[in-house]
Amino acid sequence: MPGLLELDGLRRRFGTLTALDGLSFSVAAGQVVGFLGPNGAGKTTTMRAVFGLTDLEAGTVKWNGSPVGQSERRRFGYMPEERGLYPGMLVGDQLEYLGRLHGMRAAAAREASTVWLERLGIADRADGKVEALSHGNQQRVQLAAALLHGPELIILDEPLAGLDPAGIDTIGGVLVEQARAGCCVLFSSHQLDQVEDLCESVVIIDHGRLMAAGSVNDLATSGPRRLVVRVDDDRDGSWALGITGVTVSEVNGGEVRLVLDEGIDTDLVLETAMKAGKVTKFVVERRRLSEVFRETVA
Amino acid sequence: MNIALFVVLAAAAVAFRIWRRRRSRTDKRHTHSHDGWTVTGDVALVATREVRERVRGKAFRIGTLVILAVVAGAIVIPTLSRSKLNTQNVGVVGPLSQSLRAAIAAEAGSVDAIAYFYPQSDRRAADQALRGGRLDMVVVDGRQLVVDKPISSSDTSTGARFVRAVAEEIAVLKAFEAAHLSAAQSSDLSAVKPLPIASIQPGGRSGAAVATSVIGLILIFVMLNQYNTWILMGVMEEKSSRVIEVLLAAVRPIQLLAGKVLGIGLVAFAQASLTVVFALVLAEAVGSNLLHGTAPVVVAATLVWLVLGYAFYCWVYAAAGSMVERQDQIQSLALPLSLPIIFGYIFSLTTLSSGSASAFFTVLAYLPPTAPFAMPVLVAFGTVSWWEFVASAAISIVSTVALARLAAGIYRRAILRTGGRVKFREVFPRKEVATSERT
Repeated sequence: MPGLLELDGLRRRFGTLTALDGLSFSVAAGQVVGFLGPNGAGKTTTMRAVFGLTDLEAGTVKWNGSPVGQSERRRFGYMPEERGLYPGMLVGDQLEYLGRLHGMRAAAAREASTVWLERLGIADRADGKVEALSHGNQQRVQLAAALLHGPELIILDEPLAGLDPAGIDTIGGVLVEQARAGCCVLFSSHQLDQVEDLCESVVIIDHGRLMAAGSVNDLATSGPRRLVVRVDDDRDGSWALGITGVTVSEVNGGEVRLVLDEGIDTDLVLETAMKAGKVTKFVVERRRLSEVFRETVA
Repeated sequence: MNIALFVVLAAAAVAFRIWRRRRSRTDKRHTHSHDGWTVTGDVALVATREVRERVRGKAFRIGTLVILAVVAGAIVIPTLSRSKLNTQNVGVVGPLSQSLRAAIAAEAGSVDAIAYFYPQSDRRAADQALRGGRLDMVVVDGRQLVVDKPISSSDTSTGARFVRAVAEEIAVLKAFEAAHLSAAQSSDLSAVKPLPIASIQPGGRSGAAVATSVIGLILIFVMLNQYNTWILMGVMEEKSSRVIEVLLAAVRPIQLLAGKVLGIGLVAFAQASLTVVFALVLAEAVGSNLLHGTAPVVVAATLVWLVLGYAFYCWVYAAAGSMVERQDQIQSLALPLSLPIIFGYIFSLTTLSSGSASAFFTVLAYLPPTAPFAMPVLVAFGTVSWWEFVASAAISIVSTVALARLAAGIYRRAILRTGGRVKFREVFPRKEVATSERT
């Protein structure tokens, strides 16, 4: 079931605000792709565009090379940012209904809902109303609704927001498992550490435009070099402030994280550090995803 | 009922046409669309959920019981009060001739009552029985009438009419005696009946039809209000709970809307049919005259206009529901929306009690917002022919189609816009304007 989602030249304006400005990128099956961008960058509009929930002024959304229509969308799973379930409807009935709207037969939908509720640890809530569930459990039901029809593409808007660590582990585990099974998984998040843990690839957008896309590894190893240095007698890193072409990006517990401009020799930094005191740590590091993000959208 | 079936089928055909048109339009946008048979399946799925959730709810069960109780009251109470008045107890002091006794019994029959005669030992005993309410009237020596309280000339109760008729009868008999007429002559004169009155306009206005029409109007008013509110709240709930995004990721707006309207409509029609069947059975069981004469035609007209009225208003309420997402926003919308319904209902009730329809009222019977109330009244009056009825229904159906298209457009544009009440100018024009849709 290899799948490829392609967004090509998406354009959408809301009055004077440009939400999507010719946005193009693609998401391949088999990996979890993180969808990043600051607030108002156009992430939600992009995800809604895939499901036809916003009218595009230009651009196409393609699945395996063909424009996406209703029959394709039935084979997609969607978890919107603002969770949506019928508050007064029983959890089991609700999942069965949503499964059937995605083309499942009643018995299959009922069975799949049981399987997913068990998998997500809320099997005992099938006969309860959604409004009686905690936030985390409503989120689990919402995820079950996006998954129970066995979608080829899963799009999730902030699926980890407001979850406790156990919830994050459960939902994150399910997403990775789905991707390994051949699904195309795209999810947005502001929790960059978790994205780094879960995703093989990321797409970063800002002002409705693509800023960066690629594997987390490639993005982390590209860009300026990083050094993490600890000087025992100078815990606030003041020794590094005067070096030309070196920027202090972070000081944490006596460790200084430095960004080196092109052409700066690491030996120069080491010499300066040694003059300041005893150097107990000197490591060349790759970029963190949070740094990639900040530097990309700056 | 055949007409009702026709209307339902026509509405289904209209919904199908709208869907076909929408689909062809959408297909131009998304060249690959392989939905085929699943579309009707989706509408049925949505409708089935509506029916199941609504019928399961407490509001429906309690509402149905209340409606049945009101209808039962409207049918049973008049028959109870009638049976109470049916008995007229006549005390007799002194002699009472056979002919006068027969005449009094006949007068009782003329006011739908039965007279029972109770000989009293003397006037004092008779007065006591009158005061105690055991007697309604006392005839003293066949010449004098005594009642407990004075009877006003405007009193139209059965008891008052009976006393007046007996008083007149005794006076006439006394006059016959004074004129020295023979018993045979007196009897002939007593048997005189009024001349039948011929009219040049056709008759047909029956009291039963008017009474049935009142119940029908109440039924239409209550059900239109109840089910339109369900549509309004149902659409708003889907928007405010954001479940709409999950639903519209799988089905088209028009499918969701059509399924909702159809599902709630089926519940409404089932409840109305249950009410009517219940009323028919109960009326038959208690011997009510509510369904005599042309009343069955009024019942049929009521059901037809309930369906047409619902079909017309449901789109208005659905479009309105898609524009709001909070309870307080609904309140500002609910009153203006229900004004035509309230106006049509009150004006129809007033016209019904006045007994004749003005020219303005007749016009209202052809306007889709007020026709569901006004047309059944004209049917009850017997002043409308079958083709006028069909013409009004046709106007209503055509308007409903136009309204449904407009409402579907508004719904599609408004349902995904969150963050405040959607303004009409944002959803009426074809071009998109600034919205608060999330980015």
